Amino acid sequence: MADNSIRLINVTKRFGKSVAVDHLNLEIPANSFISLLGPSGCGKTTTLRMIAGLETPTEGEIWIGDKLVFSAEKGIDVPPNNRGIGFLFQNYALWPHMTVYKNIAFGLENMKWKKADIDKKVNELCELLQLSTYLDRYPSELSGGQQQRVAIARTLATSPQILLMDEPLSNLDAKLRLEMRTELKRLHGTTNATFVYVTHDQMEAMALSTNVCLMNMAVMQQYAPPLKLYAEPVNMFVADFVGNPSMNFVEFDLKDQVVSRNGVRLGVTPVNGGKLLKKEGKVVLGVRPENVKVSAEGEISAKVISSFPYGMETTLVIECMGSDMRTVVFGSVDYRTGEEIRISLCHEKACLFDGETKELLSVVETKIL
Amino acid sequence: MKVKVRKFINYIRKPQHVILLVLLVCLAYLVVFPLFYIVKDTLIVHTSEVNRVHANAGTLTNYHWAKTFLASDTFATFWQPLLHSLICAVLSCVIAILVGGLFAWLIIRTDMHCKKLCSTLFMFLYIMPGWTLAIAWTNFFKNSLVGGTTGIFEAITRVSTPNWFAYGLFPIVLVTGLHYAPYAYILIGGILKNMDSNLEEAAQILNVSRAGIFVKITIPLVKPAILSTILLVFASGLSVFSTAQFLGLPVNFYTLATKMYSYLNGTNPGRGYVYAVVMMVLSLTILVLNQRMLGTRKSYTTVSGKSSNISLTKLRKGRKIISILVTAFVICVTILPFISFATESLTQVKGDYSLANFTLKYWIAEDAGIGFSGILRNPVFWKALKNTLLLAVCCSLGAGTVGALAGYGIARKWGSKLSTVVNGLTFLPYLIPSIALSAIYLSMFSTRHGIIPALYGTYGMLVLIGVVKYLPMASRSGLNSMFQISATLEESATVMGIPWWKRMCKILIPIQKTSIMSGYLLPFTSCTREMELFVLLYTPNSVLLTTLLFMYNQKGYEQFANAITLLIVILVISLNALINKITGASIDSGIGG
Ligand SMILES: Nc1ncnc2c1ncn2[C@@H]1O[C@H](COP(=O)(O)OP(=O)(O)OP(=O)(O)O)[C@@H](O)[C@H]1O
Ligand SMILES: [Mg+2]
Repeated sequence: MADNSIRLINVTKRFGKSVAVDHLNLEIPANSFISLLGPSGCGKTTTLRMIAGLETPTEGEIWIGDKLVFSAEKGIDVPPNNRGIGFLFQNYALWPHMTVYKNIAFGLENMKWKKADIDKKVNELCELLQLSTYLDRYPSELSGGQQQRVAIARTLATSPQILLMDEPLSNLDAKLRLEMRTELKRLHGTTNATFVYVTHDQMEAMALSTNVCLMNMAVMQQYAPPLKLYAEPVNMFVADFVGNPSMNFVEFDLKDQVVSRNGVRLGVTPVNGGKLLKKEGKVVLGVRPENVKVSAEGEISAKVISSFPYGMETTLVIECMGSDMRTVVFGSVDYRTGEEIRISLCHEKACLFDGETKELLSVVETKIL
Repeated sequence: MKVKVRKFINYIRKPQHVILLVLLVCLAYLVVFPLFYIVKDTLIVHTSEVNRVHANAGTLTNYHWAKTFLASDTFATFWQPLLHSLICAVLSCVIAILVGGLFAWLIIRTDMHCKKLCSTLFMFLYIMPGWTLAIAWTNFFKNSLVGGTTGIFEAITRVSTPNWFAYGLFPIVLVTGLHYAPYAYILIGGILKNMDSNLEEAAQILNVSRAGIFVKITIPLVKPAILSTILLVFASGLSVFSTAQFLGLPVNFYTLATKMYSYLNGTNPGRGYVYAVVMMVLSLTILVLNQRMLGTRKSYTTVSGKSSNISLTKLRKGRKIISILVTAFVICVTILPFISFATESLTQVKGDYSLANFTLKYWIAEDAGIGFSGILRNPVFWKALKNTLLLAVCCSLGAGTVGALAGYGIARKWGSKLSTVVNGLTFLPYLIPSIALSAIYLSMFSTRHGIIPALYGTYGMLVLIGVVKYLPMASRSGLNSMFQISATLEESATVMGIPWWKRMCKILIPIQKTSIMSGYLLPFTSCTREMELFVLLYTPNSVLLTTLLFMYNQKGYEQFANAITLLIVILVISLNALINKITGASIDSGIGG
């Protein structure tokens, strides 16, 4: 099988003066499932389209396997059809004047397949995606989820070794989305293709991918496996973007591995053999809501501002150390607004960010002094 | 070096780039270059002017400009025609908007009777060429004061129409205004129809008077439509030619366009080109205004949502009488002209409408008396008909294809410099008045330029100018149709390796067949009724129905002229009906949603 890894080297795309993608370096291993994640307008679609060859980068190189498919310097630009990719568009882009069958078969007919082979392939795909009963319908006669599946079938028909997907699930309702996620994960297992998946939904990215590339304002922020992204965000943007409810940020004054605020003093010890390069100054302590433990023996007093019981867990917004924080209590419990509670931050993982640069200083363990 | 070549190959491999580059070169030659060429033509001595300027043909001279602006008779020969053009433009606007707007309100917002009939007939005014009404007007109201016979009106009432009524400014303005009234009707009607009457009712609840609602709410909402009607009618009114020629010439009433024609056809073409330049400058000024206003227009269109909660104003007691008046008016301006063409073509002695005077000889006689055989036996007529239809087919194929390709290229590269420039160029011919454009081509193609042969007098010349003139129309509809399809529909095929021609034929064109077809059909109908564009360029060999009519009219063979007018109008209207039928029926059920 051909090598279906992808490598982007210093890829930049400018539209006039505005920069859509800025010096992006990205290695996508063969057969992996990676997500491009980020807020709207950060350059995800542009990146994907550059890999496909639908958009011409302003600078940089793109390799697919050991083949150089784009180089601004050498003037190489392999057209999309020779890159061995499949592209799933956000709006499906089904051809409205063709039936489901024709939509799926069109690419194969173009490859001069025999009628019988096409029939076989289309039926096989329709079986896989549960479309067999809709073969004679036009796209306008299908529901959003069915159209989605037709688009997937059409893309898979030509057996591309690389599958590029641009927010394919964004138009579906929550339930269908969950189903399709499972479907995609299974497809990845059976096809052995490299999947590059664009989404602005961090849950989706975390749930699906082997690696997440988080972007903001045209710049890649972090490229790491989902759990690493969650546990060790490189800066406050990543920390804030990943996780729901999002991370609590509280400003502290740092002095010799001790942070203080409003009379509360916490010892911060770098974990995993890390070092605190900063000795003193303003820092921000980032604590995941699940690490803010509510307990009667807690060292810090807090007041409930609002409570959202979801059944399996309850999310609390509390006032603590003169700042609003979120915390999660597992189980079916509820709190009154204004109720005085105590929380504990002892021996919990937290992230210490530089107050000015917003970059991660170190992952630390906290201890009440 | 090698990198540059590779980059160039990559660039040229994309069809949209090739299309845009080819268009850029062609349009630069066919649209931009002529603009400079005509300026040059205002500065040199033409062969027919050698005796007048006392210089050799081809030498530089300021004679034409000096004559136009500095001579003692400059008021009569330049400023007055210019003034006439401006007055025509302004008054035609007023009439078009008043008539069209009132009509739109009556049809869409009141409970008038006979709406369907009125609406259909009213559109005839726009479908029929503008000058047909001018001919009808002379049929009815010509008087004996200006040489020769009287019209139907005088024959019936024995009242002689005054000159100002029969010829000149008044009928020109009326005819031009009426011709464009349907345009105002469509635009204003479109807004009235989409405008939620809640907007008005909200005011009604606040106890605003009816007049207050109309002035404060309805008028501001239709303002954008009114503005764009004004621009179109103003531009057309400025350059009105055939109507002015038919109705103005008998009383020596000149507009810029007719004056230009007389110079170009006379012994001072250089001066005619000066007038053409002036007309173009005026049109360009209007374009700039148009662009300015377009900016503010966008914010308005959001007001007209899709909601169609229309409450009809009750005309109460006036309902009957208004319905009758409106229907009568519409019939007067649409059906009566037909009857007049028919009658005129049947009268043996002009001006005598007694039954005994009727004859079919101008239609079918072997010899109709003036050295011609009847129209239907006249080989020149059949040739003209054949030429017209062939020309229409060629122009529509040419303009439609180029327009669709241009639309594709422009839409795919939307926002890039190349695309913006080409888009502007395809639109430019729209701004050059037909008569000025043909003046330019006349001068440009009368001699050989490098590899491009002298085209004057050939059929190819007519096709070329037709394609250029109708390109704005065709490329607009091409561009619209491409904008309506998301680029991803094509890209998904690109990714699969489907070649460009197949993407066009199997995906883009089938999806947008209706609007692409209209890119072909609009030029077709426009071409069959086009007079001004060809009137300077035709030769006996390439005679067309409209130019034949023009010639007969100028020579006073009114029976022939009317017969041909009748045939042209019937041809145009049936083509139009056919087209409506074709495009209407082709929207099949698979496409939608
Ligand atoms: N054809 C274009 N011309 C000019 N600017 C563009 C073009 N395409 C994208 N951009 C700009 O590039 C930036 C990145 O766009 P992109 O479509 O990649 O965002 P995205 O991350 O996919 O956002 P979304 O989640 O909203 O789809 C945006 O600021 C956008 O305005
Ligand atoms: Mg996007």
